[in-house]
Amino acid sequence: MIFEYFQYEFMQRALLSALVVGLCAPTVGVFLVQKRLALIGDGLGHVALTGVAVGFLTGAAPVWTTLAVTVAAAVVMELLRAKSKTSGDVALAMLFYGGLAGGVYLTGIASDKGIANLQQYLFGSLLTAGWSEVWTIVVGGAVVAALMLVLRPWLTAICADEQYARVSGLPVAALNLLLLVTTAVTVSVSMRAVGILLVSALLVIPVVTVQQFTRSFKATMFASMGAGLLISGAGVLTSAAQDVPPGATIVLIGVAAFVATAFIAALTRRVRRTRRGHLPPEGEPLEVELPAKA
Amino acid sequence: MPVLNVRGATVSYGGRAVVRGADLAVAPGEAVALMGANGSGKSTLIKAVAGLVPLAGGSIELFGTPQKRFRAWKRIGYVPQRTGAASGVPSTAAEVVSQGRLAHRALGMPPRRGDREAVARSLAEVGLADHARCSVDTLSGGQQQRVLIARALATDPELLIMDEPTVGVDAETQAALAAVIAARVDAGCAVLLVTHELGPLTDRLDRAVVLADGKVVHDGAPPRPVGEHADPAHEHVHPHANGHNDSDDLWGGK
Repeated sequence: MIFEYFQYEFMQRALLSALVVGLCAPTVGVFLVQKRLALIGDGLGHVALTGVAVGFLTGAAPVWTTLAVTVAAAVVMELLRAKSKTSGDVALAMLFYGGLAGGVYLTGIASDKGIANLQQYLFGSLLTAGWSEVWTIVVGGAVVAALMLVLRPWLTAICADEQYARVSGLPVAALNLLLLVTTAVTVSVSMRAVGILLVSALLVIPVVTVQQFTRSFKATMFASMGAGLLISGAGVLTSAAQDVPPGATIVLIGVAAFVATAFIAALTRRVRRTRRGHLPPEGEPLEVELPAKA
Repeated sequence: MPVLNVRGATVSYGGRAVVRGADLAVAPGEAVALMGANGSGKSTLIKAVAGLVPLAGGSIELFGTPQKRFRAWKRIGYVPQRTGAASGVPSTAAEVVSQGRLAHRALGMPPRRGDREAVARSLAEVGLADHARCSVDTLSGGQQQRVLIARALATDPELLIMDEPTVGVDAETQAALAAVIAARVDAGCAVLLVTHELGPLTDRLDRAVVLADGKVVHDGAPPRPVGEHADPAHEHVHPHANGHNDSDDLWGGK
């Protein structure tokens, strides 16, 4: 029986951390998807590799060095995007290259200090997390989710229409920075669960899965939290039953959920096509002059 | 004291002056159109007024305060040049319009009753009260444009700045919008409107400022329609779905 696995404390810890990450990551991801920055999580994930390597090199706890390095990278990227002519995707490309190279370079220097551990950060190592790490995830996740829920209208405004937000007098630069720093925190905290290379999956997949059925931003946000919870919970249970890495299982279940809902959404749209939700306004004029009937 | 006073404004993009020494003043309750051909610098000037592009020279005062020190942005309603109201994640019309109230709310605080009422009232003004809970990406282009105008109205502005608000909007909706704007003008709201076509909205103008090649070439009575446009029986129709067919827009952008 599957519940037998959870008499082990390490399984309880794994499930708890995965559920927290699944619940909280989409609260950040929904803004990233709206800002069309879905890949930023992956970019910061590559930078997190450098952070982990700094941890190996200095002997400090990798969670904290990763946090410092990804937050710094997020700040630099936002400054590049806002102050120079560098476009968002170029800044993102720099994160991918620089982060990966930095990680490999620094682990090369620190080759005698636990390079074997790098893989557990690349692909996640839920099962070896201790209680202190689990609490870091719980506290970090709660702070991130609370911030995103409270600031939802303001963050929506800057992500949907940055120029309008600027003319409204909103603190656009500060909010942009806050969003990127929060992303960095989410990446560093959740790398335990799904691993650096897969971390952006939990930011993005629950959001793009539920938004095929939702009409409002608010509903998308809450539904994606639910979807994230289900996907990561199902992932941990499946991986326990089959003895495979939880990170990859969570992501595969998420991708499958997305593909399935995309098909279902396309089908429902086809069925609904006959009864349109929004008829054109009454008596909307034809925009052309019809030739007079002969 | 004018609500907007632009003196000798110069704006350049990469060393090329697009607006050259333009003066523009709008008095309280006045409706002014900024007109000119594509590329004349009218959109750039209005972006400078909104603080979206920096000035290379000259000065802009909003409600008597130099723009750099101006903080009361909630007194200004802004309708950007048409981009569509939809974005990456579904949002309802009411959610988009409520962005117009954020300047009135303290960061992180829930909306008050006044905020919710302003959103409902603005949606009703543009005739979309029944569509408040619809996702904006299911609305037509003209309806999306009306959502953006409602968002600016929700601010309860004293100055309404609109960058070509009726491009791609059918004639009937244009007339309805003109009535909405006229009601706001009657209530004392000043309007600065960028447009390059005469239509229902331009009937209520007090003044027109015409730009050519970045310079003000006319500041006074709004131009009157000439040729077949002056014919009262002339039906203002457009052969294209996006409502205008001037050559600069041939490639779908500006």
